[in-house]
Amino acid sequence: MKRTSRREFLITGAASVALSAAIFKSVQGWLGDARQYVGRGLHRPLTGPLTPPPASEIDPVAHALNRLTFGPGPGDHARVTAMGVDAFLDEQLAPEKIDDALCDRATARFAEAWWEPVGEAYEEDDEALTPVLRRVALLRATYSQRQLFEVMCEFWSDHFNIDPGKGDCRYNKIADDRDTIRKHALGGFRDMLRASALSPAMLWYLDGRANVSGPADTPNENYARELMELHTLGVHGGYGQQDVMEVARCLTGWTILAKKDDGFSGKLLSPFKDRGKVVFRKEAHDDAAKRVLGEDIPAGGGERDLDRVIEIVSAHPSTARFIATKLCARFISDEPQAASVEAVARSFAESKGDIKTTLRTLFATAEFRGSAGLKLKRPFHFVVSALRATNAGVSDEKPVLSFLDKMGHTPFRYPTPDGYPQEASHWFATLLWRWKFAVALANNKIPGTRIAREKLSRELGGEAALLATVLNRQPVAEESDAFLKSGDGLALALAAPAFQRC
Amino acid sequence: MSPLANLSTSRDDARTLVVIFLRGAADGLSLVPPIEDDNYHRFRPRLAVKKRDAVPLDGLFGLHPLLRPLEAAWKDGDLAIVHGAGVEDESRSHFEAQDFMEHGGLAAGGWLARFLRARGPAGGPLSAVALSPTLPEMLSGAPSAAAIQSISEFALGREVKADFPRELERLYALEHDGKPLGAALRAAAAGTFEAIHRIEAIDAKAAPANGASYDEKDDFAQGLRQIALLIKANLGLDAASIDLGGWDSHFTQQTLIEPLMRKLAAGLAAFRQDLGPRMATTSVVVMTEFGRRVAENASFGTDHGRGGAMFVMGGGVKGGRVLGGWPGLSPELLDGPGDLPVWNNYRNILAPVLQRHGAETASLAKVFPNFALSPLALY
Repeated sequence: MKRTSRREFLITGAASVALSAAIFKSVQGWLGDARQYVGRGLHRPLTGPLTPPPASEIDPVAHALNRLTFGPGPGDHARVTAMGVDAFLDEQLAPEKIDDALCDRATARFAEAWWEPVGEAYEEDDEALTPVLRRVALLRATYSQRQLFEVMCEFWSDHFNIDPGKGDCRYNKIADDRDTIRKHALGGFRDMLRASALSPAMLWYLDGRANVSGPADTPNENYARELMELHTLGVHGGYGQQDVMEVARCLTGWTILAKKDDGFSGKLLSPFKDRGKVVFRKEAHDDAAKRVLGEDIPAGGGERDLDRVIEIVSAHPSTARFIATKLCARFISDEPQAASVEAVARSFAESKGDIKTTLRTLFATAEFRGSAGLKLKRPFHFVVSALRATNAGVSDEKPVLSFLDKMGHTPFRYPTPDGYPQEASHWFATLLWRWKFAVALANNKIPGTRIAREKLSRELGGEAALLATVLNRQPVAEESDAFLKSGDGLALALAAPAFQRC
Repeated sequence: MSPLANLSTSRDDARTLVVIFLRGAADGLSLVPPIEDDNYHRFRPRLAVKKRDAVPLDGLFGLHPLLRPLEAAWKDGDLAIVHGAGVEDESRSHFEAQDFMEHGGLAAGGWLARFLRARGPAGGPLSAVALSPTLPEMLSGAPSAAAIQSISEFALGREVKADFPRELERLYALEHDGKPLGAALRAAAAGTFEAIHRIEAIDAKAAPANGASYDEKDDFAQGLRQIALLIKANLGLDAASIDLGGWDSHFTQQTLIEPLMRKLAAGLAAFRQDLGPRMATTSVVVMTEFGRRVAENASFGTDHGRGGAMFVMGGGVKGGRVLGGWPGLSPELLDGPGDLPVWNNYRNILAPVLQRHGAETASLAKVFPNFALSPLALY
């Protein structure tokens, strides 16, 4: 979504030719938008074989689809069966090679919001960007073919959680989404950690911008603590208060340019363009020697101190174990076995935090293969999987997001830096809203969201095939009986306990 | 009683906190005027509440005559008032002050949400509601908080086929301990169905209890009525929020705020009467983002100020008192352009209420981060 700064474009492109080209482009864009708002064509084309899963158990293909994606759509089981689970994993681990035209079309109307430089985002209305971020998150999860990538974006958005409701995060979280989370979601952990440390939104959210050294100032420890507690080593990962203070000292001086100098920020160079720009203020940096987790950082390191800290914490064995534990809790079960965590941690450490390698190891564990149906879908996963299973066309995301509000799982709305909880126990109180969503979706009662129920049923080869597609396995006898007697088999399949698990 | 008598199974009792936010900055000096303070009448030659009109409270303060319906709560010791309440934010901007107040400082998410999260996973589908079109920031990030217009939304809905609920219930009843998450899903579904059945059993048309009467045409009163229905139905409601907006009275203040004071007083009085003995476990907090300037302006209004008034009603509050001190209105004591200072940070008023509702000291530090609490002695 990279684009030229609007301001620069208008200044440098003032020549009439360029301007008229811009006008032509914007009219074109507007026409494209208008087509989008009609909400047509957002259904995935059902071209290949549509055979539903044949077994009444969750078979390995269905299991892979449950865990590596936000839920299968019609035809996905047949496609992955044909190519094999291993090839599917290979495909999903190379997202850049997957054509994603449908998702691009679905999100095209929001492309404007990803301002570059980030300072231009500050020209937006302060309530404008966060809803865009939420709507795009829903559309990407629903329509992207790069499903594992999107699942990992959700994972890291929780891991490096930033609530855009705090201060300037309302303007710059959107840049964090692009430059930290999405840029590195399947890349290297250390690169992502460094990007996060220097993300304007993170500098705001955890007060890094106010972490200054001076005669009257003690460092602000907020980010230093969460860096170790939540982002790397984990709370019992072997660091102490002294390490928190030393890391905070290493990071003094990194701040962002603000509207006015509030004592922490650097001088603003131009009114908007430079807002939110990350700078290192040498005069606010504590340049004396430090010692972090047993390693000496000599005096005079300046801005290189940050890289030393990132190196030390990302290479720490506790970090490998902490990240492995969280990945296993996401992809295997709420309480993964120690052996799986160890294997994944070893892979993380040996690959120097290569996320693809780590995931390959995880998906190869026996525990992963044997964990079908052990997880409860969190509300976002539930909602997206229902939209995908029914091949829904979403032209207005707001009514869908309002269901997620009621379930307490709107993307980018979690207040504290620990991110939305993974454990099932947190989410059992959301059943009523899941059921209501299932009934509303199946009956086309969600404004701006349409499913072609009869057509879909016909194309799949009848109601039974539709229900097996939704459940991602053949229904058992009691389920078939209940679907039939309920008078609304599709709604019941989506509301059923089986559809809450993955 | 069934084991699901109170659906909020993880809670030790059935307490509900109701937060009423007066959006637009309500003039505390009109709601609870210091009628015996001469400076008050000097600063407000045209707008001051006259001594003879006010409902006398304690020899210094009175209630605005339009708040007379609250006199009973005051006399019963069930209503406490705090003056000079507000935020440390000095912007005098509605947006910034509300944001600051609802987030609990420069924190992410709302203070009420953090309080609910500190209590653990939501006990049921009805643990927190906002009677508003969207979730207010104070509830942002709460586990399972619903913005609703009416409790009838706690149902499967009209689209549902007649046989659907029975079959849904049957499928969840088939969940057993041998299945992954089986027992938990079965129990959660049973609790949810119990809640749905109780909501269905609520006769929304029935008259409120104890002769209380809510204005049929007033959304605020009807919202309070819905909250009372939920409380009385024992659905495990931990927190509810409702707004009463329109207090920004720069111009012809009286015509703007008089109807609002009528609504506030009538709604609160009806709510208290309706709940009867349940008020002992129900706390109502009334708050606003800031108070208004002490001196009236040239257009019969008041401009943005700092300290305002907060009310705490019910829940065992030791009321019948105006708490938190009153330094007076001598000009040298006023803040900035002539505002009532904030000498009672709103967190110090909320903190004891939250403690009353089960918050422990450690979790209060999470609800109100980066703030040294010194809770007011409300109880």
